[in-house]
Parts: sequence; structure tokens; C-alpha cells
Amino acid sequence: MSIDKINIDELSIMQLSDSFFPTGMYTMSNGLEALFYSDKKVNGANGLRDLIRVYVEHQIGPADCAALGNSYGYAEDLDFEKLLEADETLFSMKLVREIREAAARSGNQLLRCVGSFITHHEILNKYQEATKARLASGVYPVALAVVSSTLRIPKRKAGLIMLYAFTVSLVGAALRLGMVQHLEGQRIIHELKPSMLNAVNDNIDRPLTSMWQFVPDIDIIQMAHERMGSKMFIT
Amino acid sequence: MSSRRIPRIGIGGPVGSGKTMLIEQVVPILSSKGYRAGIISNDVVSREDADRMRKNLASERGLMPEDLVVGLATGGCPHTAVREDPSMNISAVEEMESKYIDLDLIIIESGGDNITTTFSPALADYFIYIIDVSGGDKYPRKRGLGIENCDLLVINKIDLAPHVGADLSIMERDAKEVRGNKPYVLVNCRTGQGIKEVTEHLVRDVLFESAPKAVARK
Repeated sequence: MSIDKINIDELSIMQLSDSFFPTGMYTMSNGLEALFYSDKKVNGANGLRDLIRVYVEHQIGPADCAALGNSYGYAEDLDFEKLLEADETLFSMKLVREIREAAARSGNQLLRCVGSFITHHEILNKYQEATKARLASGVYPVALAVVSSTLRIPKRKAGLIMLYAFTVSLVGAALRLGMVQHLEGQRIIHELKPSMLNAVNDNIDRPLTSMWQFVPDIDIIQMAHERMGSKMFIT
Repeated sequence: MSSRRIPRIGIGGPVGSGKTMLIEQVVPILSSKGYRAGIISNDVVSREDADRMRKNLASERGLMPEDLVVGLATGGCPHTAVREDPSMNISAVEEMESKYIDLDLIIIESGGDNITTTFSPALADYFIYIIDVSGGDKYPRKRGLGIENCDLLVINKIDLAPHVGADLSIMERDAKEVRGNKPYVLVNCRTGQGIKEVTEHLVRDVLFESAPKAVARK
């Protein structure tokens, strides 16, 4: 028996996943720009796909996705103290200043945008106030958890939104840098779908105390981006 | 516009049309009248424009603190940064507003882009579009949202007209036809010709002839 039902939540998923949604992600290459100008070349579309998989499996999955899962639970339970703890923990785990600041900026923009049409919601309002008072950074995965809970988007689907948005952002940057072409970009996104799914399933219930990330090569290239004098992207 | 919002002027135009130089000419005149400006400069591939303005207007001439010239990289999408997703610029503007509440205006320079670029009203209250005659005297006639809809059209490098075969009278005629009653100014940003008129538009149409905040407080 096939289940063919539609609901508003799914439209909210599409809205938040759309690259048209104003979170400034089009300005981020997550170090790809520095890699492009370094002597370490990415080997074509397949090389880029494999590189994005490394980001997903070793950074965004076990750190950002885990933070999102925990934060979603805290938002549902109205446990604001724990939500602030998740915000602080993830923010402090982001080693590179540019990446840390960009994640906070995107999260704040997400909160502001959703806050413009959901004006009364306890945890969303409290978290927004905390970011304005600089008690919280508003780092994107935690902000997305709060917003997803507000819009009744299920937790795992919120995880998929984040993985998808991140992947599209990286492929978009690669496209503008001329590393891949438009059809290759879509193939990469398609071929990374299993990795995105696994990253959510493997990490969304990971306890806050077990979050991890380990991608020293990427950390270094992201640091190199900070030192570039001429650049198109903010990360 | 809320009482806390500092008036914002957006400046857009193609690469090399003179956006940065227009700001470098306008700010000293506004400063001589007592108006304090902040600058946010979007640049497609670097922060070179912002660095130049900071050196010229802040470090060397002392017209503003150095941190009042902010450079933003825009990921190769200058139009997106001022129209579809102005969130990054709005953050930068609000940061400047919260730090310098006495500013009279904030100037936001777009990265060089095409003739369809316009500013989101959420970002800028007044929009200047600048073109230059070296693109040919057909420019105004070709229209585009920037040329048609801006609050003030600035046509730069008028001294080059005879050298590139551009007829200024055709550009003026077409600008009037395309823009109706909305103003345009012919300038030469290198010599300062026409800049006073641009500044007068800003004082009248953006600042509403109000006294500079620093003066009004005394």
C-alpha cells in the first residue's frame, strides 16, 4: 500500500532547504576556494564528491548533526539551559574563526527570517533574545533545530535539511570556481544522498558529550582561506 | 524608517564604472558639512576597494575611524548580496549602527554587476546607479532595472566622451526618456565635476536637509 499524503511541514522543509532561502550560504566555500588556489588539486567531479563526503562523514555529521539532534530535543522539552549548552559546545568546537563566525551569522539570519513570520513561539523567541544579548552564538545547526521544532519539521528531516544545504553550498561554490560544471554538480548531489542519509541516522541521536570531528587537512585549508588577500567567499 | 535606522544609500553599477571613486568624492564633501558616514563595500574578488577607501578616507585624511570602512566578500554573486539575500549586508549595517549611533548615513557599495542590479529596500533607502560613457552612449537607452529604477542615475567619465565616440546629449535625452522625472547627473569623478550636485541630492532627498547629528546634539 502506498502512502501518498502531503502536508504543510513538507513545504517548510522545501522552504528551508532552498538555496533561495536567505541564510547567506552562497557566500561560503568552506575552504574550497583556498584549496582551488593551492597546489593540492581536487581530481575532477569525483574528487570533489569524495571530498564533500569527508566533510559530511567527519565534520558535519558527528558534530553539527549531533548538535542539531540534541538541540531539537531541548527545544521540544523547552529546556533552554541545555539548548544554550549545545550552542556553546558546538561554537567552541569550530576551530577556524571564519567558519565559526559564518555558522553563527547564518544561524542568526535563519532565526531572523523565520522570526519574521513566526512571531510568537516561546523557545524561538527566547533563543533569538539570547543571541541578541550575546548569551548564545546562534550557530546554524542549533538555530535550525529550534526553527525546525517551531515549524513542526521532524528531527531527522531537519538533519537532512542541514546536510542538503551544506552539500548544495559546497557544490555551488565549486561551480562558481569552475571546478565542476552544472550537470556534474547535480550528479554529485545525487551520489551523495546515501552519505547524507547515513550522516543523519548515525549522528542525530549522538549524545552531546560524544560529539566529535577530525579533518585536520580541511581545518588547515580553512585556516589558509582566512589568510587569503583576494577572495570571493567569506569562508 | 524607524527612528533608530540610519539612512542607507546603495550604490550599484558595472565593474569599473566609478562606484568607489564616487564614494571617495562624496564623503569628503559630506564631511565638510558635518555629516558622518560609514561605508560598507561589497567586492567580488577581494577587499581592495574597501582597503583603498580606508587608506584614503580614514588613515590619510582622518575623515572617519578606520573601522567605519567595512569590506565584504560576496561569493561571486554581487546582485544576490544586495537583492535576493541581503542578510549579510544587513548584519554588517546593523553592527555599524549599534556601534556608531551618531552616524548620519551609511553608504553600501555593491560589487560591480550588470544593468539589472537593484538594491533591496530592506537594505538601502536610496539607490544610486552609476554608469560611464566608455560603455557607449547607448547605455541609458538599453534600460535595465538599475538604470530605470534607481533614485539617482550618475553618468561618469564624461571627459572621455569625445575619445570613445559617445554623444552626451544622446545619453541625456535617453536618460530623460527612460527615467521620466527621476534625476540624473553627469560627473567626472576624477576631477570632481558634478559631485557637488550628487551631494546636494543626498542632503535633500536622503537626509531631508536635517542638521548633522553631531551638530544637532550640541
